[in-house]
Amino acid sequence: MNDFVLVRKNLFRKKLRAGLMIVSIFVAFLIFGMLASFYRAFTVGEEVAAADRLVVVNKINFTQPLPIAYFNRVKAMEGVRQVAHLNWFGGYYQEPKNFLIVFAVEPQSYMDVYAGDLDIAPEARQAFLRERTGTLVGEAMARKWGWKVGDRLPIASNIFSQKNGARTWDMTIVGIIKPKKPQMDTNFMVFQYGYFDETRSFGKDQIGWMVLQTNASSENDKVAKAIDASFANSSYETATDTEKAFNKAFVAQIGNIALIVTLVVGAAFVTILMIVGNTMALTIRERTREIGVLKTLGFTGRRILGMVLGESVLLALLGGVPGLLLAALIAFMLRENLSNFVPGFAMTPGIAVTGLVLIVSLGLITGIIPALNAMRLRIAAALGRG
Amino acid sequence: MRSLLLQVIAVTTINLKSIAQRLWLSLSTVVAVALVVIVLLAFLAMANGFQRTLAGSGSEDIAIFLRGGSQAEINSTVARDQVRLIEDAPGIARGGDGKPLISPELYVVVDGVKRSSQTKANLPLRGIGEQGVALRKGITISEGRMFNRGANEIVVGKGLLKEFEGFEPGKTVAFATSRWTVVGIFEAEGSVFESEIWADLPVVQSLFNRPNFVQTVRVRLESPVSIAALKSYNDNDPRLKLDVKTEAAYFADQAGQTTDLIQNLGWPLAIAMALGALAGALNTMYSSVAARAVEIATLRAIGFGGFPAFVGTLVESLVLAAIGGLIGAAATWAIFDGLTASTLGGNFTQVVFAFQLTPALIWQGVLLALAVGLIGGLFPAIRAARMPIVAGLYA
Repeated sequence: MNDFVLVRKNLFRKKLRAGLMIVSIFVAFLIFGMLASFYRAFTVGEEVAAADRLVVVNKINFTQPLPIAYFNRVKAMEGVRQVAHLNWFGGYYQEPKNFLIVFAVEPQSYMDVYAGDLDIAPEARQAFLRERTGTLVGEAMARKWGWKVGDRLPIASNIFSQKNGARTWDMTIVGIIKPKKPQMDTNFMVFQYGYFDETRSFGKDQIGWMVLQTNASSENDKVAKAIDASFANSSYETATDTEKAFNKAFVAQIGNIALIVTLVVGAAFVTILMIVGNTMALTIRERTREIGVLKTLGFTGRRILGMVLGESVLLALLGGVPGLLLAALIAFMLRENLSNFVPGFAMTPGIAVTGLVLIVSLGLITGIIPALNAMRLRIAAALGRG
Repeated sequence: MRSLLLQVIAVTTINLKSIAQRLWLSLSTVVAVALVVIVLLAFLAMANGFQRTLAGSGSEDIAIFLRGGSQAEINSTVARDQVRLIEDAPGIARGGDGKPLISPELYVVVDGVKRSSQTKANLPLRGIGEQGVALRKGITISEGRMFNRGANEIVVGKGLLKEFEGFEPGKTVAFATSRWTVVGIFEAEGSVFESEIWADLPVVQSLFNRPNFVQTVRVRLESPVSIAALKSYNDNDPRLKLDVKTEAAYFADQAGQTTDLIQNLGWPLAIAMALGALAGALNTMYSSVAARAVEIATLRAIGFGGFPAFVGTLVESLVLAAIGGLIGAAATWAIFDGLTASTLGGNFTQVVFAFQLTPALIWQGVLLALAVGLIGGLFPAIRAARMPIVAGLYA
C-alpha cells in the first residue's frame, strides 16, 4: 500500500462528507470557468486588434459620419500603408429582433486591410469585387442562419431606407469569410459601399469610420497625430486611436465587467475556502489518534504533512477539474446563441491553466493548517486524546 | 401533545445552544449563505434599478413617432414634412394658443469621459422643440438656468453629471468645431432623461448639419386612449407610415433586453452558488448530528421521541441559513443600494441608473437562504430522528 492509496482511502472514509465538498468545489470552478470565458469574450477585441491598425472616427463620437473625401486624403498620408472605410448598416433579417452585424465597405480596401484576419477564397474575392449586390458572410453568421453561397437575402436596415422607399436591400452571398485567427469572431457580413451609397435615401457620400494600417506600429502615434491635425478646425474633426484602445474603450462602455466577474468569483472562492478549510480541519482533528499511531509506526512528520496536503489537493482536483470541464462544455454549447451579445464566448487554454493553478492552490491552502498541525503532533499527546 | 411540544422546545434549545461548539463550521455556513444572497441581490438590485430608470421615464399620455422598424430613437429619422402632417393629427392635446403640443427632437451621440474608467463613452445630446420640457413630467432646474433658444447652450441631467467629467455648470464643451456652454443642471425624477444633454433643436440641427430632419416627434395625447386615433391616422397616410407608440411602451421595450440579461445572469449564478452553500450546510448539519449522537441517543433512551430530534436539527439549520440570509441582505443594502452605475442602453448611449433594493427583492434573497437551510437541514434531521439508540450510546 503506497501513500496515494492511503490518501485516497482517507479521503473517502466518510463518503458523504467528501462528496459534499467535491460538489461545492465543483460549483465554484464551474462559476469560475463560465465567468472567465464570459469576461474573455468581452476583451477578445483587444486580443485580435492588430498592433499596426488605427481607427479614425469623427471626433464628436464614432456614430457620427465622416465625408468620403477623407478616405483618399488619409490614403495619401505618409506612414499609411492602406486604409479601408466601413459604414454601420443597422441590419436585420426579416424581423427587427433578428439583428445582424452588417457593414457597407469598399471591397478591395476592406480585403486588403483585413488580409491578416480574414480568409476569403480567391473566387469569392473576385465575385465580391465584381458583383454590385454581392455580400461576404462570416462563417459563424452563415452557420447560424443556414446560409450558403448563392443565397439571395433581403437584408433590412433599422437606420437607412432606399430612395424608392424600400427598407430592404437585396444581397447575394458570393463567399464565406473564415477566420485566420481562432479567437476572431465571424458573426458579421459585409456588402458593397457603392451599392449602398447609390441607393440610400440620405447620408450620401458619408462613411462611418476608417481603419488603416501604418507602415510600422512604431509610427502609430505620429500618423494618428498627423491625421487629426490635418482635419482640425474642419466641420468634421477626427479622433484617431489604435484599434486596441478603441476596442477597450468600447467594452468599458458596457460597464466594469472585470469588477463584476472578480467579485462573483471571489465570493464563490471565499465560500469554498471556508467550507473546505473548516471541514478538512475537522477531519484531521477526528483522526488525531490515528496520526499518532502512524507516527509510532515510523511515519515521519514530513510524510504525514505530504499525505494530508495530498488529500486536500486530491479533493480539490476531483471537484475542480470536472467543474472546469463542464464550464468548457457549456461555453461551447452557448457560443452560437450568445454570438450577438458576447461573440467569442469560449474557454481558452489560458483560462484552463489559470483554473488548474487555482485548484491546486485551493487544495494547498485548505490543507496547510491541518497538515502542519498533524506534522507537529506529538505521539504521546495524540494517543492520549479521545 | 403538550409533552411533544415541550420535547421539541427542549431539544431545539439544546441544538441552538450547541452551535457554539461547532462555531467555525457553523460560521462558514452562515457566511456561505450570506455570500449567495449578496450575489443574488446585487444582480437583482442592478436589474431593478435599470428597469425602474427606464420605466419611470415613459408616460401613458405621451406618444412617440419613430421611423418604421427603427426600434430606437438613435436609428430613427422623420422628415420635416412628416412633422407637419403629425401636427394636424387627431388626438393631440393643444395649448392655450391652439397650437398642438408636440416636440420634434434630434438625438445625436457625443463623447464624454466616464469618471470611473477614464474612457470615452457615448452620451446623448438631445435637441428639443419648444414644448420639449412641457412634454416630460417633473423636469426641474436644480442649478443654473434653462438654455436660451437659439443659443449654443446646454443643460445636463443630474445623473450624467455624476458619472461623466467636464459638464459642470459654466464649463465650455466642444462638439466638433462648435462650442457650447453648460448653463444648468436638470432633474427628471430619476428617469433616463437625467442621463442626457439638452439643447435647442434648431441649434443642434444647424451645428450637426441636419437641417431637414428630426429623429423623433413626441406629442401629448388628449388622453391615453387617443393613441388609437393617432395610430390609424398614421397608418392610413402613406406619407407617414411611422411607428407610433406611447412613451411608456417605448421605454418598456428599451428596458426589457438589458433587464432580462442582468436577471438571466444573476439567478443562475446565485443558484449555482446556493448549491455550493447547500453542500456546506449539509456538511455542517451532518457534523452537528454526529457530534450530538450520544446526546440524541440519551434523550431517546429517557423517552424523548424521534420527532423532537428531527425538528431540533431542522431548526438549527434554518436558523443558521436565516442569519446568513439576513446578513447578506443587510450587506447588500449597505454596499450596493443607491450605488450609481452606467451602461449602454437601447439607444447606444449611456444610461445612468442606481442599484435599487426593494423589500420584494430582499424577500427573494431570504427565501433562497431558507431553501438552502431547509434542504441542508432536512436529511441530517431525518438521520437524527432515525438514529438507533444503542449505536448512538456507544458512539
